[in-house]
Amino acid sequence: MQYKIEKNDISTLIDILASVYDLFGPVKTDGLTKLARIKSASNLDLESFNTDESAKDIFFPQYETIFNFKDGEIKNEFDKNRPIAIFGIRPCDAKSFLILNKAFNNGGVNDSYWNQRYTDAMIFAIGCNRPSQTCFCNWVNQGPFNKEGTDIFLIDLGDDFMVESCSSKGDDFLKNVSKITLQNPNPGDLDKVNQIKREAEILMSEKLDLAPLKSILDTQLLDSPLWNEISAKCLSCACCTYLCPTCHCFDIQDEKKPGTNQGSRVRMWDSCMFSLFTQEASGHNPRPTIASRMRQRIMHKFNYFVENFGEIACVGCGRCVRTCPVNLDIRGIIKRIKNEG
Amino acid sequence: MDNIEKELRTVIAKLFEEKKIDLVIGYTKGTLPLVSTPIFLKEEKDVDKLIFDVSCGNNLVKYLKRHRIVNMKDTKVAIIAKGCDGRAIVQYIAEGQIKRDDVLIIGVPCEGVVDPKKIRSKTNGKEVSQYRIEDKKIILKGNDFEISLNKSDVLSDFCLRCRYPNAPLYDIFITEPTKSVGTKDEYEKVNEFEKLTSSQRWQYFENEMSKCLRCYACRNACPMCYCEDCFVDQSNPQWFGKGTDLSDTIIFHIVRVIHTAGRCVDCGACARACPVNIELDLLNTKAGKEIQERFGYTPGLDPDETPAMAAYDAEDKQEFIL
Amino acid sequence: MKDNPYIPIPVRLKRTEIESDDKTLRTLDFTLCDENQAFDFMPGQFCQLSILGKGEAPFGIASSPSEKGFLRFTVNRVGGVTTALHYLKEGAVIGMRGPLGNYYPVEKFKGQNLVIIGGGFAFTTLRSLVLYIFANRKHFNDITIIYGARRPGLLLYQNELTEWEKRDDIKLFLTIDEKVPGWDKKVGFVPVVIGEVAPKPKDTWAVVCGPPIMIKFTLLRLFELGFSAERIYTSLERRMKCGIGKCGRCNIGSKYVCVDGPVFSLAELQKLPEQY
Repeated sequence: MQYKIEKNDISTLIDILASVYDLFGPVKTDGLTKLARIKSASNLDLESFNTDESAKDIFFPQYETIFNFKDGEIKNEFDKNRPIAIFGIRPCDAKSFLILNKAFNNGGVNDSYWNQRYTDAMIFAIGCNRPSQTCFCNWVNQGPFNKEGTDIFLIDLGDDFMVESCSSKGDDFLKNVSKITLQNPNPGDLDKVNQIKREAEILMSEKLDLAPLKSILDTQLLDSPLWNEISAKCLSCACCTYLCPTCHCFDIQDEKKPGTNQGSRVRMWDSCMFSLFTQEASGHNPRPTIASRMRQRIMHKFNYFVENFGEIACVGCGRCVRTCPVNLDIRGIIKRIKNEG
Repeated sequence: MDNIEKELRTVIAKLFEEKKIDLVIGYTKGTLPLVSTPIFLKEEKDVDKLIFDVSCGNNLVKYLKRHRIVNMKDTKVAIIAKGCDGRAIVQYIAEGQIKRDDVLIIGVPCEGVVDPKKIRSKTNGKEVSQYRIEDKKIILKGNDFEISLNKSDVLSDFCLRCRYPNAPLYDIFITEPTKSVGTKDEYEKVNEFEKLTSSQRWQYFENEMSKCLRCYACRNACPMCYCEDCFVDQSNPQWFGKGTDLSDTIIFHIVRVIHTAGRCVDCGACARACPVNIELDLLNTKAGKEIQERFGYTPGLDPDETPAMAAYDAEDKQEFIL
Repeated sequence: MKDNPYIPIPVRLKRTEIESDDKTLRTLDFTLCDENQAFDFMPGQFCQLSILGKGEAPFGIASSPSEKGFLRFTVNRVGGVTTALHYLKEGAVIGMRGPLGNYYPVEKFKGQNLVIIGGGFAFTTLRSLVLYIFANRKHFNDITIIYGARRPGLLLYQNELTEWEKRDDIKLFLTIDEKVPGWDKKVGFVPVVIGEVAPKPKDTWAVVCGPPIMIKFTLLRLFELGFSAERIYTSLERRMKCGIGKCGRCNIGSKYVCVDGPVFSLAELQKLPEQY
């Protein structure tokens, strides 16, 4: 069900959310737009493109304690925080949660740490009236107004927001929100939505059909000199993977306080682009070259993940395109691979 | 700039034709406005892909060793060198990483490269789709705007304090060596910073370093970070934690500063690569200043001079040793 | 805590003993601290052993499900965790997660012949498999075991091997790389011995564990003898962290060694991009 709310009501909405949830929203800091804890709508930034860093850190923190230990005893206590809500992320980030949720709960073994944050979370996403030149969500079965992974979806109409519930959690929320007037949209509003969507479509890069990609990767490119060529300028840093909303590789390490028997087992993001990632204690490394690591990254997203979970592990957010220090544009890699087919 | 590109392409075509080179490490147009991308040119027919303008920020020397090491021992390599690339090459020679004859240096007159972060702030986050340079102006066009800015307002801070716009060593120079666009004192920022109290300075660093994602883009973009086995990548022993604990992050940055002290050529590759806008040059410049003041050494100028940290003199100042 | 796959359970070191004459290999037997806890596993599976403050590392289970009262691991000293395991005192309590991964397809092997081929210290889960077969001997036909090491002192489980040699329901061939005084068994690389023993491929499965170079030549020899890739199994090792298919580093193609493996048929591996 779609409703219309006045833009002024956003601050009331944020107040309500902040009173119930541990609330995050996009905020401008140091020349970047970041997702930060917010208490009010005062510094909310709903104008910028998707945030510079992805939203995954909220549910899958870069650095988190698995358990603490002292004198051989393990103590594991989940934070009993309020449930999390995120307001104002873009459809690409909302979709990424569904992908990560599959990765963290595969094979019937559930990741307690992801689940304790994600399962009860409320996701308010906002459509992209003006997609960035780096956006390519339309290549990966997404779009600037895609509602997957959201509980409540908003579209900016100028003076108002169109608000739509996309889940039972969203239904419940809208049913119980009494301080805000939910208006029924008139036909003019719906026309406006369509016009906004059309204009956004025009700004998007031309759609590319990625359906053939998997079989090309699978059959022709397992062992191809192409990977050397593609990775020639790659610096093997982790800009792409750390800013990627779907990359989820991690490391687990013990950190002990020096001179004591206490410390923590922690997990932290890791990157398939680092040589240490697969380096074995013996010194052997199954992925010793930048080319082999690049192959892993591309294969994981466009082949292995498709094989295991039935969809591409890329949401077309464009962050890797924007931030790669050498402009190694994943869209170019994808096109290059498609040309092999 | 058009003249530079024209001459660059002609010269390189000729070098290929005369079989003097097999590979050129240069710049080509990137996929985003004001962003160039490195290109490894192997054939004469591709020379028109080469560009050189304000978007050519990467320090290409990063690729020099890799391309010599990876199955290319017999390849004759040429590299396009701005002043800072040229200095990095000189430092490679001084540090014994390459020999002078290993690479054909093609100098280009550098009038500065843009800082995309400044552009973003000038356009209020709106995306630039086209740009052109008109003398000292840069005109930026987007979907619903066109603005004209002084070039100096959007050039990288590194360029604005650059004193070496031309490669100190070169085999061929495209057009003429130029005068630096750098008008600022090299150490202005450091000098200002030194006036702060130690707690203010510490707070500043805590704030900057807390942004760090540990993606190592700074290290990986830095031409002087060429160690085959960086301390960061060692696991037995592991020197510091891999997480984003502030003390670990700071250790990473401080050790990198110490490892590049007196070697850093102030190209700005680190700051340009940082996806979260950490101001990475302050500590490096400070270390460079200390080396300069104590040992009178400026890296990347003289391939025959022993680098400061590799030389010992009984008269060396050592009052900083506790 | 019970539903959290990252929390190890406490195990106590019951016995520890140097396994090889160069002291790099050590065998450790653990018991569960909670004796009422069930621990069901199959030959080929592995556990993450966990030393608080040092970290975790994966080890194949060397004991058999048919052996009750302890879990055995043989540890090669290479890194931080393995060194700490070597220095553990009997009675010490550490953490364990498992059993993890898949196992040798013993159901397929039933009613068939089996050739078990091991090299060096990669004999741990093969020991588990052999003892499992001994405990269920009537379900299997001819059993041939070929096990080699550089020299006698590097063969694992030597007392047991001596016992196995006395059995008449298996064929056991032990080999070392070069002749040494007092050695009256085979001399030569494992692949050469396979050629000499020449197991028949009909109704036979092969299980091969060892260093990559041994595996490479062993496979060539098995192919020559007529074994198909579908009937050859091996167990892989990779750097692992989570052990539950999430952390992303041990995959070979779309398969995770920690959950889809460590046991793979050669036919499965041939479809994947990287070999061991």
